[in-house]
Amino acid sequence: MSCRDLWKVFGAHAAKAIESGDVHLGRAELMAKTGCTVAARDVSFDVVRGEVFVVMGLSGSGKSTLVRCLTRLIEPTSGAVSICSRDVLGAQPKELREIRRTKVSMVFQHFGLFPHRTVIDNVAYGLEVQGIDRPTRYARASELLEVVGLSPVKTSYPDQLSGGMQQRVGLARALAVDPEVLIFDEAFSALDPLIRREMQDEVLRLQERLQKTVIFVTHDLDEALKLGDRIAIMKDGRFVQVGTPADIVGAPADDYVREFVRDVPRGKVLTAAYATQPRSGEMPEEVVRHDQHLNELLPVVFGAKGPIGVVDGTGELVGILDRRMVIHVLAGREELSTPEELASPGQP
Amino acid sequence: MSAPPATPVWAAALRLDGRLGGVARRWAPPLALAIPLCLVAAALEGVHSGFPSTWLLGVPRWFDNLNNWVTNNDSSNFFLHTIVGGFGNLLNDATNDIVNLLHWMTWVGVLAVSTAIAWLVGSWRTALFSALVVASFGVLQIPNGGPNGISEMWPSAMTTLALMTVAIILSTIVGIPLGIASAVWPTVHKLLRPLLDLMQILPAFAYLVPIVVLFSIGNPAGIVATFIYAVPPLVRFTELGIRSVRKDVIEAAESFGSTRRQVLRNVQLPLAAQAIMLGLNQVIMMALSIVVIASLIGAGGLGDPVLAALQTQQIGEGFVAGLLIVLMAMWLDRTSAAIGERARERTSTRRLTRRQLLGLWAGLLVLVLVARYGLGLGDWPAGWGFSVVDNATRALNWVTNEFTGIAGPISSFLTLDILNPLQRYLTDLPWWLVAAVVGTIGWARGGSRRGVLLAGCVVLLGLMQAPVGYTFQGTTSYNFVAWNDAMETFSLVIVALALDLIVGIPLGIAAYRWRVMDRVLRPILDTLQTLPAFVYLIPMVALFGVGNVAGVSASLIYALPAAVRATTLGLRAVQRDVLEAGQAFGSTRWQLLFKVELPIARPYLMLAVNQTILLVMAEVVVAGLVGAGGLGLDVVTGFSRSEVGLGAAAGLAMVLMGIVLDRLSQSNPDRARAAAS
Repeated sequence: MSCRDLWKVFGAHAAKAIESGDVHLGRAELMAKTGCTVAARDVSFDVVRGEVFVVMGLSGSGKSTLVRCLTRLIEPTSGAVSICSRDVLGAQPKELREIRRTKVSMVFQHFGLFPHRTVIDNVAYGLEVQGIDRPTRYARASELLEVVGLSPVKTSYPDQLSGGMQQRVGLARALAVDPEVLIFDEAFSALDPLIRREMQDEVLRLQERLQKTVIFVTHDLDEALKLGDRIAIMKDGRFVQVGTPADIVGAPADDYVREFVRDVPRGKVLTAAYATQPRSGEMPEEVVRHDQHLNELLPVVFGAKGPIGVVDGTGELVGILDRRMVIHVLAGREELSTPEELASPGQP
Repeated sequence: MSAPPATPVWAAALRLDGRLGGVARRWAPPLALAIPLCLVAAALEGVHSGFPSTWLLGVPRWFDNLNNWVTNNDSSNFFLHTIVGGFGNLLNDATNDIVNLLHWMTWVGVLAVSTAIAWLVGSWRTALFSALVVASFGVLQIPNGGPNGISEMWPSAMTTLALMTVAIILSTIVGIPLGIASAVWPTVHKLLRPLLDLMQILPAFAYLVPIVVLFSIGNPAGIVATFIYAVPPLVRFTELGIRSVRKDVIEAAESFGSTRRQVLRNVQLPLAAQAIMLGLNQVIMMALSIVVIASLIGAGGLGDPVLAALQTQQIGEGFVAGLLIVLMAMWLDRTSAAIGERARERTSTRRLTRRQLLGLWAGLLVLVLVARYGLGLGDWPAGWGFSVVDNATRALNWVTNEFTGIAGPISSFLTLDILNPLQRYLTDLPWWLVAAVVGTIGWARGGSRRGVLLAGCVVLLGLMQAPVGYTFQGTTSYNFVAWNDAMETFSLVIVALALDLIVGIPLGIAAYRWRVMDRVLRPILDTLQTLPAFVYLIPMVALFGVGNVAGVSASLIYALPAAVRATTLGLRAVQRDVLEAGQAFGSTRWQLLFKVELPIARPYLMLAVNQTILLVMAEVVVAGLVGAGGLGLDVVTGFSRSEVGLGAAAGLAMVLMGIVLDRLSQSNPDRARAAAS
């Protein structure tokens, strides 16, 4: 799926504000001049099949609005969105419904379950509005409930379940229509930390199996780093940085991102590539892969006698792991160079 | 963002500028104007002014002409004949069919079916209660016929049941779709809201005459009046239920590609079901509360004996029929509440499987057939009952005799020292002064537009009158001075309102402060709130005789629950942490009450005033039935002497008065409504 130049401006004169270029004013100025606020500011990104793309930002940064614009639950002001190479923003109501019914599903922060329907009827809802007959949709829903481990509570009502179980229902409901794209809107924010971790693992497990296109909105950095193949940091409606977790932590684009990732345990996110001096030639005795996390390498780093070689995915030597640099990287010293300067081969 | 309202020069001179507190700012300007003016007026008392008798619009004549025209064109005019007449016939036929069905079912059938329904939707207790109530329709009787010459109440009860059924069905098929439309389309909401507001502040008396002009006296007129009176809460509850469905749930449904219709049918309506049932429950209660008024325009049934008894002062006979209406209200209330309960608990476990249910209905049908054709039964056997009238009359006589010693002096004090002087004072106030005071208070409470509107209403009210010596087609002639009658009604409202607040607010505070008090008051208030308006008239007439005092005291009791409840509710709404903050500074309990709790509860107290005024006015008008003066009596006279113009013009005057009283006592309708919900 892809999203190009997407703008969402709230206010009566939104279109005019974009045309006149007023939207580039500061928040307060824009409000004073046009009465508009910008929720999504010229946002572009692509997500491919099998990828988890995390949109991360504090509350009010526009991330929930952005993902709602993707399926026009909120009508975007301008831009282009395509899902499965179908133009979403130009779609007529009927076509839009068709896209929502079969291509995209959403998991909501407060679950959005239908309180008057049993668990299985909740899960089957997407199929029901498609007009699929009851035995078929129940069979499919039961299958999904099996997957998320809720078969025993099929006929319960949502309010009889715990929060974690409710969100499993939400997840099963989203998966039941077998969508290409899955959108999680702060899906686990309302859950306890332990349950949240459990649900994150569940998502990783399912994603490995199902290989969906996933867009995951969160305000929790740990969650973003854990789930995201790529992360977009959003501030005031704009993507300030898009990159892998290691990019974000190792090479913050600006002070805002830097402040954000300051307390991240860097050894868990950054890889050997960030502490590698480029070198070619003879293969040293000790060798590590470039995408191994520094934390796991510490025993090697301090145990090995000779130089430590860094190899890429194909086993080719790309450089030598610099012990001093490992310490610098882990300590978060600011004067470090970017990984592009340090290591030539690409990131995972 | 708007600039602060400019302070008028005189207000600035009185230092009534923004630095004063909100309360002072809102109240001081109108009072600063109104009070001196009132004093001047009071000083001028004796200068008889009131409303000039030559200023009039000729409203009574319009209605007399209209009535005449309708009578003459009833059979030829398409609208009257086909639409109004057809609709009336439909209602009449439906009522008669149901009445016939109920009689055909025999008393055994009615008893069995109602009990079975109550059991299906509720518990065995609901069923037992239902059975007892239905049986009471037969058991409780009047000896020697009573005022209407009928001893058995069963046929009357069946007629009332049929009328209620038709009115409730009509309300449902109009009210629920209107509520849905209002929730879905903002335009409909905008159009309906003022109409519903008006319907809810109007006493039913106000539109009785126009309905009779269109439908003429009879069942259809009664059903239409009941419908107009009872339908607003259903529309409101339906709309509220749909609107209060959580946004994220609707969004979830949309995200799966539901059409708007699917969202409504699959999500919003099921989730609103409980609210809709609550609305329907309200409809039933309100419909039963105007049974007696509907009888005034020819709806038969249990209302007739009550009406006759009130008008002939044979209170005991009215008591039995009144009791049966109350019992019917409680029965239908409990049954419909049980359905609502079911909707809330979502008990998918039905009591019976589909086959058992079918069996039950088949069994009931067989039972009815056997009772009808096998045993040849019919209505409740006349011999199976006893007369409670003697006892009721004796009890009421006892009350009358025992309390005459107290009631007499109270009555004469209220009449001679309060009501009469107040009425004389108000009637003599020059019309321009009243318009000015009303306009000023209206302006202070709701801006200049409201001020002008309300002052205009006051003038318009005066213009409703008939010319001196008015006659119509040589046969009818009457004297209608709208101003004087409205002021008489107003004086009754003021006295009842003042007493209500004096009694109600302290009671509300007490119920808030002391749990015992709350526990004692709760069941009493519950009962008072479910009783229909006319019920209060019966004991008051027994105690004080017909007239203004009976009207005022009935109104006092009728509106008291609202005053008490709103006060308690407002105090309860004060947040705990605010109270703790007050306590933490070492406030005494009284300081806490007067400095924290009551000020915070002020919007609720205003709501209490507003609600009490509307209820008091409704009851004061109904008290026209027992000879309480003013506009209510005009409507009653209009019926009893077929003076259509008089009744209709008095009804319009009530509309204007209702609007004025409601808007004067409401500072901000939206906020007050938010507080109420």
